[in-house]
Amino acid sequence: MKLFSRYNHILILISFVGLIVIGFLFYQTLTSYLNRQIDKDLVEEIIEVKEFSEKNLFYEPHEFENLNVIYKKIARINGDSIYGDTLYYNPTKQVTESSRFLKTQMMVLKQPYEVFVVASKFEREEQIKSICLIILIPVLLLLGVVLLVNRLLLRKAWIPFDQMLKNINNFNVNRAQPYDSVEAPIKEFAELNKVLLDLSLKIKSDYNEIKLFTENASHEMMTPLAVINSKLDTMLQSNILGKEDGEALADLYKATSRLTKLNQSLLLLVKIDNDLLQDTEQINVKEVIEEKISHFQELLNGQNLSLVTNLTNVDLIGSRQLIEILINNLFSNVIRHNYQNGSIEIILNKERLIFKNTGHGAALNPDKIFERFFKDKSSDGTGLGLAILKQICNRQNYGLVYSYHDYQHVFEIIFNTKS
Amino acid sequence: MKILIVEDEESLQKSIEKYLTAEGNICSTASTYQIALDKLAVYDYDCVLLDLNLPDGEGLQILSYLKRTNKAEGVIIISARNSIDQRIEGLRLGSDDYLIKPFHLSELHARILAVVRRRSANGQRHITFNELRVDIDGKLVFVNDKIVFTTKKEFDLLLYFVANKGKAISKSAAVEHIWGDDADMADSFDFIYTHIKNIRKKLTDAGCKDYFQSVYGVGYRFASS
Repeated sequence: MKLFSRYNHILILISFVGLIVIGFLFYQTLTSYLNRQIDKDLVEEIIEVKEFSEKNLFYEPHEFENLNVIYKKIARINGDSIYGDTLYYNPTKQVTESSRFLKTQMMVLKQPYEVFVVASKFEREEQIKSICLIILIPVLLLLGVVLLVNRLLLRKAWIPFDQMLKNINNFNVNRAQPYDSVEAPIKEFAELNKVLLDLSLKIKSDYNEIKLFTENASHEMMTPLAVINSKLDTMLQSNILGKEDGEALADLYKATSRLTKLNQSLLLLVKIDNDLLQDTEQINVKEVIEEKISHFQELLNGQNLSLVTNLTNVDLIGSRQLIEILINNLFSNVIRHNYQNGSIEIILNKERLIFKNTGHGAALNPDKIFERFFKDKSSDGTGLGLAILKQICNRQNYGLVYSYHDYQHVFEIIFNTKS
Repeated sequence: MKILIVEDEESLQKSIEKYLTAEGNICSTASTYQIALDKLAVYDYDCVLLDLNLPDGEGLQILSYLKRTNKAEGVIIISARNSIDQRIEGLRLGSDDYLIKPFHLSELHARILAVVRRRSANGQRHITFNELRVDIDGKLVFVNDKIVFTTKKEFDLLLYFVANKGKAISKSAAVEHIWGDDADMADSFDFIYTHIKNIRKKLTDAGCKDYFQSVYGVGYRFASS
């Protein structure tokens, strides 16, 4: 929920509950005040009845239509006077109205009577309604205006915040401009903006440092690796090695070549990050794929993989090196993670390039597989192949989607993603 | 062949020297930019192996020097930097090849042979090994002057072994020679075995002796005994 809506909801809730409570109390007070007024009138009527009685007359109110006095003869007087509300049919007006009555027993013309004085509350109630409306309507109007002004003001006040949010979402450590600063007249937002700017600059400089470190470290490792490699090559020429030495040499060769590959992959990632591979030319992807198929032919045959292709002529503008690495890595992936007698399907059309392969295991976690050094335990690769794939797609503005259908791992590259 | 090795990493320099000397070459070494320049000024070499990062100067300047003085040396840059720009700059200044560290000595040797061959107009166009003859330009293999058909990869592999004849070549070096950067493929070592088996069969079927020898299970050697 947006802060604004939450704030508004609470405000509206409190206002309405408050209005209802205040309205109720107000109405109650007014009613009881008016009831007391009517009761006073009723008492006056009883006094009139007494006065008339002393003149040996029955008092009949005539000037007021809203008042009626009813006499009822009773055996003897007992009990008190009772005030109360009732619905009373007024014979003069010929309507049933909400009324206030006073019932009392007294001696009228020396006879015990029950005297029932009833007064209509209709007009008084109308008055109460008017008073309530006169007060309530302006209050409601005022509340509406306050809410409206609030909405407008807050919306305007939050504009810089929304912009900051958008800018920080667009923030990319690889881009030249770290974070587009936003002018904010509100102090809190201005502070937030400053913090974001500083943070983005810090992230960027840290990131660059890490990249530089990775690059330097990888480069520095290449010469010692060259020494190891050359010494291994020299040792291999020796004629006095035993079987165990041979095995050790084989392992050393494997480890060295893995380390070399890891280093090269890291350097490649840094290069892609740094936009160092920015040569652009027109590349026929179909030709590249066909070339790679013949390049990897022995590996395909070795696992007896069946290859189905459906390729159309597609020209892309981009870095040849990157496109070749992209296709290389896709091939490498579908061959490496396949099983004996498995299958590979490659589909290329104007919109997308799809590599499907059978493989051990179930669907992979699409959020994880493109992370650096993510690999399953059985894999003896560097764990950087798919990360490089992802990075290249980012650079070339291609979409990259992994899915799992019909026991096949599907890697889909979508060209021309507009974003 | 006379080869100058310009490399400041001494142990690497020694390995290269040892390997190439055993191949029958005369090797000279230089650990600094200055020594390299001095040697180049006095002697002529068939090939110069040039490390670009020298303690007292930039290796590319040696290239400019060679170009300026019209020296006929073939130059192979050996660098830890796998950068397209540097590669292009190197080629522009007249280097013949660019080898990225780490590399296998057998690969280096094959490259040296290729460079020297390319540069000398009347250089060897064939490598002959007893009854076997490899036509480098035509990419053809002959046994007793009878043609043996090979795939491109089989030819490359055979040429690699013949060029390094008598030397043990590790599977890893052979794999990298054939598949280059894609050499990390799982089990790709086994495919070298398959390739060599195929080449062996084709050659022996054509009446060639089997010169491939397995070395400790690590690699192979192409030798007559």
